[in-house]
Amino acid sequence: MTFESVLTQARSEGRDLLNEVEAKQLLQEAGIPVTTTVLAVTQEEASAEAARVGYPVVLKIVSPDIAHKSDVGGVKVGLEDDAAVNAAYEEIVGNAKKAVPNANITGVAVQNMAGEGTEVIVGMTTDPQFGPVMMFGLGGIMVEVLKDVSFRVVPLTERDAAQMIDEIKGSAVLDGVRGQPPVDKAALCDAILKVAEFVEQHPEVQELDLNPMIAYSDGAIAVDARIVVSAS
Amino acid sequence: MAVPGHRLDRMFNPKTVVVIGDKGPGYMWLNNNRTFKEKGGALYSVQLDPKEIPGIEKLGIENFTSLDEVPGEIDYAVVAVPRTVAPIILKGLIENGVHGAGFFTSGFAETGQEEGIKLQAQLTEMARTANFNLVGPNCMCLYLPRSGVRFSMDVPVADDGAIGFLSQSGTHAIQFSLVTNANGMHLSRCVSLGNAIALDIPDYLDYMTEDPETEVIAMYVEGVKDGKRFYHSLRAACARKPVVVWKGGQTEAGARATMSHTASLAAPQAIWEGMIRQCGAVATNNLDETVDAVKALALAKRPAGRRVALLAQTGGQSVSITDAFAKGGFEVPRLSEDSYKQLAEFFNIIGGSYQNPLDMAGTVQGRTETLDRILRIVDADPNVDAMAIEVSAMFAARHWQSRPEVLDEMLDALQIHANRSAKPFVVVMHPAHEAEYVASIQHKFNERGIPTFASFERAAAALDRAAIAAGV
Repeated sequence: MTFESVLTQARSEGRDLLNEVEAKQLLQEAGIPVTTTVLAVTQEEASAEAARVGYPVVLKIVSPDIAHKSDVGGVKVGLEDDAAVNAAYEEIVGNAKKAVPNANITGVAVQNMAGEGTEVIVGMTTDPQFGPVMMFGLGGIMVEVLKDVSFRVVPLTERDAAQMIDEIKGSAVLDGVRGQPPVDKAALCDAILKVAEFVEQHPEVQELDLNPMIAYSDGAIAVDARIVVSAS
Repeated sequence: MAVPGHRLDRMFNPKTVVVIGDKGPGYMWLNNNRTFKEKGGALYSVQLDPKEIPGIEKLGIENFTSLDEVPGEIDYAVVAVPRTVAPIILKGLIENGVHGAGFFTSGFAETGQEEGIKLQAQLTEMARTANFNLVGPNCMCLYLPRSGVRFSMDVPVADDGAIGFLSQSGTHAIQFSLVTNANGMHLSRCVSLGNAIALDIPDYLDYMTEDPETEVIAMYVEGVKDGKRFYHSLRAACARKPVVVWKGGQTEAGARATMSHTASLAAPQAIWEGMIRQCGAVATNNLDETVDAVKALALAKRPAGRRVALLAQTGGQSVSITDAFAKGGFEVPRLSEDSYKQLAEFFNIIGGSYQNPLDMAGTVQGRTETLDRILRIVDADPNVDAMAIEVSAMFAARHWQSRPEVLDEMLDALQIHANRSAKPFVVVMHPAHEAEYVASIQHKFNERGIPTFASFERAAAALDRAAIAAGV
C-alpha cells in the first residue's frame, strides 16, 4: 500500500479522513510503531485475523461516516478468544448501524492490544501561518482539560523533539511517578521526528494524530491513528 | 555605513532627510528631526501650502514646493500628507530615486473602509513594482538615534545604542525607546512597521542581524503575513545575536472546525511559543518583561549555566531572593570549600551567614573593601555561573542622602566587579519607602551600566531569559 494509492482511493471516495487501517499501515511503513491493524469485512475474517495478530485483540468499526468510534459503541477491547471476537464483531456492527442508520460500513479493524503504559499524544496540524507543526502532550485529562501540549514547526531537529517532551508541564509523569520506571523518551523523540519526516514527505497530510500512543520504559506504540489529507 | 550594500543601508544611515507635508502649528516631524540637522545631516522640508511655509522657515529649515527641487540624493523621507495624496507623493519619491520613506499617513486598510483599502492596494502595487523601501504606512516610521532621526521629541540622540527594536505598534515603539532609555540603555535602530505593505519584519530583522551596531534585538509583534519567512529570518537572527519576541494579542482565536485532536489544540499562541523557542529566541508578554530581558542581555555578561550566587543584606531577604531565583529556574548551589574557607576568615556570622544565599549586611557594614572582597571570592567560585546582589534602599537611603559619596563608592565597586567578572551580575534594589529618592539615583546605576531591577522576581525572570538566549 503506497501513500499515493491510499490518497487516490480516499479522494475517489470523497474522503479526507483516512481510515484507521490505512493510516496505520502508512505509518508502519514510515517506521512509526503502531499496533498491527488489519481490516476484516466478515466475521470469519475477523476471527482469522485475530488468531494471526495474536490475542488479546481489539476490534474497532471502520466507516467513513463514523468519526468517533467509541461514541457509537464501535470499539471492543481485551478480546481473549475466538468466541469473544465473533460476539464483538456482531455487536460493533450492530451498534454502528443503530447509531448511524445509513452509515457506509467498510468493515472492522482487528488489532493486537497494547499493554498498559503512559498515554501520550503525538500529533501534527497545518498552521495557517507556519505550515505543518508538530504537537506533543500527555494523554487523558492533561491534554483534554489543561491543554498541556508543546508545538514545533516542521522540520524538527532532535533537540526540538527532546525539548517538546521536556517542556510540557506534566513532564515529571514521564520521568516515573509512584515507583513507575521512566518512559523511553528516546522512543517518543524518534516517533515525533519520524512523523515530522512523514508529513514533510507528504504535504497532502493536513492533520495527524497518534492518540493515544502508549509509552513504556522500553519503546512506545500508537494504538490509534488518524490522518486527514487535503481534498485535492 | 553599517551594512554596506544592503538595500536598507542608506535609509538606516541617512545623510539627507526630507519631511513632506508637515503642518503647523506643531510641525511635529520637522521638530522631531531637528536633531538630525544638529548632528550635521541635511534636513529639508517639502510643503506647497503657502500658509505653512513661513512657520517652516522660522524653524530654520529650508522648504521646497516640489521634491524635484531638493538638492542631492535623498536617503530618507518622512511622509505626512493626507492619504489621497499619498500615491502622488510615492510616485515622486520613486521617480526621484529616493532611497526609502516612512509613511506616517494613515487611513488605509486599517480603517476597514473601501477607500482606504483601495488606496493601500495602490501604494502596495507601486512600491513593490519599484522595489521601493516603504516603511508603513500608518506608522511612526524610523528612530535612528545615531543619525538624530526621531519619531518623538522625547527620545534621545545617542551614539552608543546597541539595541534594535521592531514594532507593529507605534506607541510601543516610542514607549520601549523611552523606557529603555530611562533604564540606562540606548537603541541602535527602531522601526515602527505600520501596515508593512512593502518592507516587513524579516526585511528589517535581516538588516539588524547583519548590523554591527545592533547587539540585542527585540520586537513587538501581533501577527505576521508570511510565517515561514518570519521563522527563517528569526532563526537566522538568533544564531547571531539574542532576540526577544514580545507577542501581543495573546487571546485565543475563534475555534476552527477540525477533525483531529491536534488541530483542536493548536491555539495560535501555543504555536508561537513553540516557534519562538525553536528559533532560540526569548518570549516576553509585556513591556516590562521586554525591557528587563533586554537589560540583562545588553548590560550583563552571558550566563554559562544556571547556578547562581545570591548576596542579600539580611536573613529574611536571603530567603526571598532564593525563592525568587529557585522559582525562576535557577540552582542556588553550595559554594566551594575554598570559598567557605576564605569567607570564614572575616565573615560576621552573628546575624549573618556565608552560605549561599549570603546574608552579609552585618559583615559589610557599609565598607566597600569588604564588599569587594566578598564579590571577588564568590566570583572566583567554580560552582557559580551568575551573581545577584541586593542593594537595600530601606536601610541605606537615609545614609546615602546625607553622604552621597558612600553610594557612589559602593556603585563604583559594583561597576568594577561587573567589568572584572566574566559572569553575569545583576542588582536588585526595591524602592521601599523611598520611591522618589530611588528614582533620583537611578541615573547613577545607569551611567555605570549596572543592570538594576526593582524586585527579586524581575531580576530572576530577566536572568532566566538571558540564560534561555544563551541556551542554558
